[in-house]
This record gives sequence, C-alpha cells and structure tokens, in this order.
Amino acid sequence: MPDYCIQTNNLTHHFLQQEVLHEINLNVETGSIYGFLGPNGAGKTTTLRLALGLLKKQRGAIYFFGLPFHENRISILKKIGSLIESPSLYGHLTAKENLSLLQKVYQCPKERIQHVLNLVGLPDTGNKKASQFSLGMKQRLSIAIALLHNPALLILDEPTNGLDPNGIIEVRELLKKLNQEDGITILISSHLLAEIEKLVTHVGIINQGRLLFQGTLDDLKNRQQLSLQTVFETSDQEKTLRLMSDHNLSPRVENGKIILPSLARETIATLNQQLVANDVLVYEISVVKNDLESIFIDMINH
Amino acid sequence: MSLSFIHSFQSERLKTKRSLALWIVIIGGFFTPVIVTIIRLVQYKTLPAMYSSDKFWMQLWQNSWESMAIFLLPMGVVLATSLITQIEYKNNTWKQLHTTPLSLTTIFFSKLTVILVMMFQFFVLFNIGIYLSAIIPYLLVSGVPYPKAPFPYLYFLEQNLFYFIDCLPIIALQYLISMQFKNFLVPVGAGFVFWFGALASLSWKYGYIIPYTYTTFLFLKSGIANKAAIPDFNFHWLAVGYFVVITAMSYALYVTKKEKG
Repeated sequence: MPDYCIQTNNLTHHFLQQEVLHEINLNVETGSIYGFLGPNGAGKTTTLRLALGLLKKQRGAIYFFGLPFHENRISILKKIGSLIESPSLYGHLTAKENLSLLQKVYQCPKERIQHVLNLVGLPDTGNKKASQFSLGMKQRLSIAIALLHNPALLILDEPTNGLDPNGIIEVRELLKKLNQEDGITILISSHLLAEIEKLVTHVGIINQGRLLFQGTLDDLKNRQQLSLQTVFETSDQEKTLRLMSDHNLSPRVENGKIILPSLARETIATLNQQLVANDVLVYEISVVKNDLESIFIDMINH
Repeated sequence: MSLSFIHSFQSERLKTKRSLALWIVIIGGFFTPVIVTIIRLVQYKTLPAMYSSDKFWMQLWQNSWESMAIFLLPMGVVLATSLITQIEYKNNTWKQLHTTPLSLTTIFFSKLTVILVMMFQFFVLFNIGIYLSAIIPYLLVSGVPYPKAPFPYLYFLEQNLFYFIDCLPIIALQYLISMQFKNFLVPVGAGFVFWFGALASLSWKYGYIIPYTYTTFLFLKSGIANKAAIPDFNFHWLAVGYFVVITAMSYALYVTKKEKG
C-alpha cells in the first residue's frame, strides 16, 4: 500500500451553479514528483486552493500525510511550502525582508534566509524592492519563500511562469535535487507536459474538472507505446485490407489511408512483399509515433 | 497570549515598514505641531505674553487638537486602517498568509493589534510634537520665557486616553470594511461618507449613534460645547461598546469568508 502525502476523495466544487471540479481523487505518493497537468481553466488551481484551505470545501475529503486537513490545518501547513498562481510578495519590501517576515512566523533559523536565496539564484539583491524585480526574479523569490522552512511537501502552481529557458532548467534541476537529496515530495502543476516530463515521476491529467489519468510517468509512456501506429497507402485499398485480415490484423481506414496498430518490422516487410506480389502498388508505409504531448492533447480532447 | 500571536504580530509589523500607513502616522503625528510652531514663530511678538499665561499648556492642547480631533484624526484612522489591510490585497498575498501555519484568529487579531499599536505610536508622536511646538519658539525667539504654567501631565494623559478610545469604533468599522473589499476606494469612500455624516449630525440629539462623532464631541466638550448636541452621558463607553461589537462582527465575517486568497 503506497504512502500518500496528499489524498483527495471525491473532491467536488461548484462556482455558482457551475461544477468546476467533479469527484477528484488525487493520490500523491510520498517522495514523488507529481505533475498535475491540464489546460488553462481545467481546475488545477481550484484543486490546489481547495487542498490548501484557500477555498471553502463543499464536498469531498482532503488528507495530508494521512490526516484530514481541516482538523489538522496548522500542523499540516507547518510541513507545506506553496506557491499558488502568481507570486505573492510584498512589493515595498526587499527579498530578505519578504523572507524575514515569514521566518518569524515559521520560527526557522535565520540562516535559512540566505540559504534559500542562494538556492534560487538570488544571493544578493541588496536593497532592491520586490516590486522592482522582473517576473522571473519574483518567481524565484516565491520559490525561495516556499522552501524557507524546509517543508516536507512543496505545492507549486505553474512555478516556471515568467522564467526564461535557462531559468526553467535551473528550477527543474533544483526541484530534482530537493526531491532526491532532501526527500521533499513535490506537486507541480503545469499546462505543458513537455515542460515537466523530464522532472516528474507521477502524472495526473485534469480537464474540465475531471481527472482523466493518474499514474506513474511509465504508465503514461506505456500508453505512448500503445498509441504507435503503422500507416499504409496503396493503389488497391480493398485488396490490402483483405490481405491484412488474412494475417489476423485489424486495420481501419482514416483519410484514405490504412491504419494498423504498432507492427513488428518483420510483419511490415512480409505485408509489403505480399502486396507487391499481388500487384498492389505501395505508395507509403510509415510509423506514426505519438509523443507524450500528443497523448496528453488527445486525452483532453476526447 | 500564545507565541504564535507574538510571531504573527512581529511579522505584521515588518509588513508596515516603508508602507504608506506608517508615513501617515509619522507625518500625521507632526503635521499640526509643525503648523502651530510656524504660526507662533510668525506671530513672535505675542509669544512672551502667551508663555507667561497660566493657561499656556491648556491653550496649546486646544490649538493642537482643533483640526486633529475634527478632521485629521478621523481621516488618518480611515486611511491608515484601510492601507494596512490593503497591503495584502495590493500585493496579492492573502493566499500566502493563509497558507502559513497560523490560525485565522491569530491573523485577524495580530493585524488589528498592529493597527492599534500604530495608533498608539501616532499619539506618542503627536504628544512629542505638541511639546516641541511649545519648546522650539522658546529656544528660538529671544525674550520668550519657559512656560510658567505647570505641565498638566494627568490631564494630557486622560485626554489622550479618551481620544484613543473614541477612535476605536472608527478603527473597527474601517477594519471590517477593508477586510471585505479588495478595492481600496470602498473603505476609504465609506470612511469619508461616515465622517461627513458625523459632521452633519453633530447638532442632532441622536448624533452619538454615529461612531465617527466621538473625537469631535470630545474636542467640543472642552471648549465650544454649544456647537454640538454633545450627549450628556459618558459616550466613551459607547465607543468601547461599538468597538467590541463591530470587531466581533468583523471577525465572524472574516473567518466565514468563502475565498481566502
């Protein structure tokens, strides 16, 4: 039985009459990096805001570290660092002052302030106020705030927004390091699979308030394997289909082309030989490889 | 008092650093004393007689509080209280604050305490300013004696306490409104409306039901009482009552708010 850091049971939420979340059962394993994926407006932020108590829960249950959230809110929040949507910074204060006011709340050692600033690549911003920071710097400082009290769980809602490509890679490496060396469980949301597929161990895909997939990245990759297709285009579609049926294959026709599931190289060669031997001209044999992004898009479109 | 409240209070205090609310307190505290000092320096010929008067300190107190009690103090409280809560809205930090391991009660009361402490700071600065407005002309203008009248410590302390108490309902109501509305104009606009309402109702026999009237009543009571229908009971208790009731309502609205960032 896996040990879950976050679990939601049938989490359902309405804004006015509209259902924005429908029975979400999130299972985030301890020690994992969980990628919470979905297009804009899918319900990612609402789920995270509900989980952290920023929205009043309507239906369902939320557990952190095996404990119900609302009954254990303070002890749970001590172990969580979060960044929800845009950066939350006091613009009239410096980076150190922003961290200092949270250091007072968490009562963590003062040395942590410089440590997390170094971690996120903002070792010395001097007297510059947070309002004068670029979006990327604000995002980094927000991550530093989330890390300040050395949490067991990090919840990051689109943390790479506003970062340049180098910044994205740096944050990705930092999160990997925190997960591997410090054992921090990370829940990271994004609308781009490509952005987080090099980082996550587990994936949850949400669209229109429904969780469409949840599992390990390997499970998702297996789906990718299953989605490989071999495409044939010939001069005689009927004869080709008959020949394929003789080999116990189940072809289908799409846009004038014959589609088969992934085939062994030998089978493709045999089919080709037989088609030629039966006077069928073969114009095209190709293998269509769906990447994870297209599986993700396919999942949210169907 | 729990430790988390103290830590939260320290954190809230740090948020006011370089804030407009803090500047309002500092500038507001010295504004009237500076004006009084300038007027005295301009009218320096009248100073020797004035400084020899037995009523010197009482007159200075009245002069200093005239614009403060009726206009600057209520407006300053409206602005400072609204600005303190707006720090969270303006910076989009309610969500950050509400994911810290602090109870909602701690957050609510530590913010309120910061406002009360800032008001206390204002009173301290204002009193220092009043004293300096007496001493600076004495130091700068030759022939002006040190005030002959004894310094009325107890009277000043008592009046300060009453003004502070009379501000409490304004603080509570502004705090309630500004915690509920993201738009800064709502609490400030409401504050102006209540203040105008208070001025308009000063001569009404039930004017005391408007909680923004008490600082003006207190000022007029010790001087030109015939200009207002000053209640003949101890309205400071009414101010305390308003403060307690409005704060309780404000707390209930805050903890039951559906969206917390």
